[in-house]
Amino acid sequence: MHRALATLVCIGASIAPLGWVAAQGVLRGTVRSASGTSISGAMVGIAGSTLYTQTDGDGRYRLSAVPSGEIRLRAAAIGYSPAATVVTLAGGDSATADFTLEPSPLELTPVDVVSTKLPQFGDHPATSVAQVSPDEIDRRAVNTIDEAVDKEPGIQFLNGQINIRGSTGYVQGLNSRVLFLVDGVPMNQGDRGGINWDLVPVDHIERADILKGAGSSLYGSAALGGVVNVTTRDVPAGLHARVRLTGGIFTDPPHPVWGFRDKPGLQGGGDGMISYGTEIFGASVTGGARHSDGYREHDSQNHWQMAAKSRWQTSPKTRVDVSGAWADDRYDTPLSWCTQGECDDMGQAYQPFKVDTGGRAPWTHSRKGYVAAQARTVVSERFAWHARASWFRTDFFDQRRDTSEFGISNRFGAEVRVEAHPDSTRSVLVGGEATFSDVTSDVFQNHSQSEYSAYAEVEQPLSRLARGSARLKAGARIDFLAVDGGSLTAVVSPRLGGSFPVGSHGAAVRASVGRGFRAPSLAERFVDLVAPEFGLRVVPNPGLRPETAWSFELGGRSAPSLGIMRVDGALFWTEARDLIEPTLIVTPGGPVIQLQNVAEARIAGVDATLLAAIDRLTTSLSYTYLHTQRRVPGSANAPLAYRPGHQVKLSADYSLGRANLGADFRHASRPERIELEGFVDPRRVPMNVLDLRAQWTRGPLELRLLLANALNYVYNLVPQTLAPVRTTTLTAVWSH
Amino acid sequence: MRSGSLAWPLLLAATACGGGLQPEPICGASLIGVCGTIRFRGTIPDSTDNVFVAAYASFPLTCTELIANRQPFIPGSVSYTDSVADYSVALQPRTYAWVLAVWKKVGTLTLTPADTALLRVAGYYRNPADSTQPGVVTVPDGSAASDIDFRVEFDSLRPATDFVTCTAR
Repeated sequence: MHRALATLVCIGASIAPLGWVAAQGVLRGTVRSASGTSISGAMVGIAGSTLYTQTDGDGRYRLSAVPSGEIRLRAAAIGYSPAATVVTLAGGDSATADFTLEPSPLELTPVDVVSTKLPQFGDHPATSVAQVSPDEIDRRAVNTIDEAVDKEPGIQFLNGQINIRGSTGYVQGLNSRVLFLVDGVPMNQGDRGGINWDLVPVDHIERADILKGAGSSLYGSAALGGVVNVTTRDVPAGLHARVRLTGGIFTDPPHPVWGFRDKPGLQGGGDGMISYGTEIFGASVTGGARHSDGYREHDSQNHWQMAAKSRWQTSPKTRVDVSGAWADDRYDTPLSWCTQGECDDMGQAYQPFKVDTGGRAPWTHSRKGYVAAQARTVVSERFAWHARASWFRTDFFDQRRDTSEFGISNRFGAEVRVEAHPDSTRSVLVGGEATFSDVTSDVFQNHSQSEYSAYAEVEQPLSRLARGSARLKAGARIDFLAVDGGSLTAVVSPRLGGSFPVGSHGAAVRASVGRGFRAPSLAERFVDLVAPEFGLRVVPNPGLRPETAWSFELGGRSAPSLGIMRVDGALFWTEARDLIEPTLIVTPGGPVIQLQNVAEARIAGVDATLLAAIDRLTTSLSYTYLHTQRRVPGSANAPLAYRPGHQVKLSADYSLGRANLGADFRHASRPERIELEGFVDPRRVPMNVLDLRAQWTRGPLELRLLLANALNYVYNLVPQTLAPVRTTTLTAVWSH
Repeated sequence: MRSGSLAWPLLLAATACGGGLQPEPICGASLIGVCGTIRFRGTIPDSTDNVFVAAYASFPLTCTELIANRQPFIPGSVSYTDSVADYSVALQPRTYAWVLAVWKKVGTLTLTPADTALLRVAGYYRNPADSTQPGVVTVPDGSAASDIDFRVEFDSLRPATDFVTCTAR
C-alpha cells in the first residue's frame, strides 16, 4: 500500500510522459449479444487502467488517447459473460474491436461501478452488490426506478423509504440511511435527507447498482446502510427518438364493504425522448407526464417531468457531461386510512380504502430538480482526474386541513478525485468532497449544513497470501460537519475488505468491515410542527449527533453447478450507536415528540440468493433473515421497528423468441414492532405480493403488460397506509 | 432449478391461504377493548369537530390527569350524525373506572390541560345498579367487553370542571 501511494505521488509529479502522448490512437467498436442485439451500458476498457467507457444506446463505444501497441481490451455487461480481445493499435491510428457477449443469467456482478467508484471488470466486490439491468427495467414495466429496485434481494420499500437489509426502517420521510446517487452525484434531499425516486424519468435510466453495506468510507453521510447508484443512458451517435405510452386500471377493493367509488380508478401517461449525437458531442431531451386516480380515496396524482443530458469530448483526453432533470408533482395526500367514525365506516372498525375526514383535504405540491456537470480527464493510462459540481433543489407545499407547510431546500455539491494505477493490478483513489445544504421553511425554519471531506482507497492483489486474483481493498474517509456555520464535528469512516477467488470457475469468498455514519438531516434537527398522524407536537433538537455503525460482512458465491445454478450468500452484522428515533417525552406543557440519539442497535442476518437457468427459463430465489435488537437505557431490549424478520423473493422469466413471460413474488413477515405503538392503528400483516408480466417486441415496437399484485392481496407496510392493490398496466414503446 | 420449481407452488399456496387485511366489524372478534352502542340526543352544535370515546383506569382528579391518563391517548372518533352508532375502542386488558364519550369543538388539541377548553363530557357508561354513578368495565385478556352502551346528550354537554379540579395538584 505504501508503494502504491508513493507511486501515486510520482505519477502526479510527472503527469504525462511526452513519449506516451506522442503514441496514441483511437479504439472504437460495438458490443452486441449473440443474437445481434446491441447492448447499451456495457463497460469497455483496459482493465487496471484509466481507459474505460460505456457503450451508448446503439452499443457503440469509443476510447481515445489509447497508447499504441498490443492492447488487451475487455467488455462486460449485466446478464452476459465478460469477454476480452487483443487489438494492435498504431500511434496516431484507429482500430476497431467488436464484441459479441454470450447471455449468462448466472453471471454475478460482471461489471460494478458502485463498490469502489471505479469500474470493476468481473472482479469480485468485497461487499455485496445487487444490480438492476436495462432488461429488468424494461421487463418490469415500472414507472419509477424504486419499483424495479424493490425486486432485488434483501431490499424492501416502506412507503417510499428504502431498506437495504433492514437499514432505515420507516421514519416518516425525515431521513434515509441509504445514499442515492444519479451518475455518481449524491441526490438525497438537502432538508430531509430523503430520496425522490421519481426525480429521473425511468426511460432515462440505464441501470441501477446497489451496494448492500456501509459505504461511508467512500461516500460519507447517509451511506450508513448502503448506496443506490442510478446510471442514466448515454447519448448515442445519430438521431434517435423514443415514445412511451402507458395506461392502467386499479382493481376495486376485494370486499364490497370496503367499496369507495362507482368507477374503477385509471392511470396513464406518456414520455418522449429525442437525442442527437456525433462522436464528439451529443444531447438528449426527455419530457413526459402521467396521471393517476389512485387506488384509494383521495389519492390522485399528476406528475410532469423533464430531463436532459449532454456529453462533449472536448479533447481526446477530456470528456464533459452535463445533465439535469425537473419533476413537478401535485398529489392528494391520504395521510391515514379511516378508522370508525372518521368516515362513512359502514359499521367497520376501519376502512383501509377511505381516508379520515381530517385527511380528505390535504394535498402536496412537490417540485424538485437538479443540474450536474462532470469532467474526466485521462492524463495517461495510469492517471486520471475527475471533477463534478451539482445543485439539487426541492420545493414542497403541504396543504393540511387547518394549516399549511412549505420547505425550499438546496444542496450544492462538489468533488474532485484522482485515480492512479501504478500497474495493471493496483489502483489508488484519492478525493475531496464538499456539500452545502440549506433550507427555508416554516416547519424546519432557516438553517444550513456544511460537510467537507477527504477520502482515499487503495486496492491491490494479495499475491503473497492467496493464489489467483485475491484482492485487498482498504480505505478511509474523514468528514467535517458544521451546522449554521458553527463548530466542526469530525467523523472518520475506515473500511477494509477483500475478495478471494476459490478455484478457477468463478467461486469466491468476500469479507469486509467498515464504519459508516449518517449526519442528522436539517429536518431532524429543526422540525417543529404538529404531526397529523398523532396529533402531537414534534419539537426541535439542534444537538443531535451523527449516527454511527460498524458493519461486517462475510459472503461468498459458488461456481455454477451443473451449468444451471449458482448460489450467492452473505452473513452481515451491524452494530449501530446513537440511532435517531422519535421519542415521546413529557414536558411541563404536555407530551411532545422529539428526535433523539437514543438507541444502540444490532442488525444481523443472512442474505442468500439461488440463481437457476435452463434453456429459456431463468429463476432466482432469495431469502433474507433479519435479527434486530434495539437497546435503550431504561427500556427492555426489543426488535427494531419496521424490520420484518423474514423476506423471500422469487423471480422467473421464460423467453419465447420475441416474447417474454415473467413473474415476481415477494414475501415479508409481519414486523414485530412499529414506532409509537399505542398512538397509531397497530394493524399490520405479512406481505405476499405476486406480479405477473409479459413483454413482446417486434422491430421498433415493444409492448409490456404488467399485472402488479395479481392476487389483489390487501396489506399495509406502515400504520394506516394501504399498499397498492391489483393494478393492470399496458405500456407501448416505440424506438427509432 | 428444482428448488425454484418447488418454491413457486409453495409460496403461491401460502399467499392463497390468506393473511392480509380483512373487513372487521366494529365489535369484531379480534377486538381487545370495549365496544357497544351510543344513542345520540339533542341538537348537534355547529362547532362540533368530533365525538370520541375514552377510558380511565381510575377516576381522574385533576385536569392534568384528565389529559395524561386518557386511554387511548390519541382517541379515534365515533360517527355521531345518526341517532345510534356502534363504537369500539382498543384498550389494554384491565379494569376501567370511567368510560365516557367526549365532545370536541373545532380546534387543534395540544394534549395539555389547555385542551379542556375544547372538550366536553357528553355522556358516560353508567353503573347498571346505580345509574347516577359511572359503571366499572373490565376488559378481559384477549377479548372485548361488549354491550357497553350509553347515551350522549348534545344539549347538556358538561365541562371538565364539573368532574375534576383544573388546577395543579
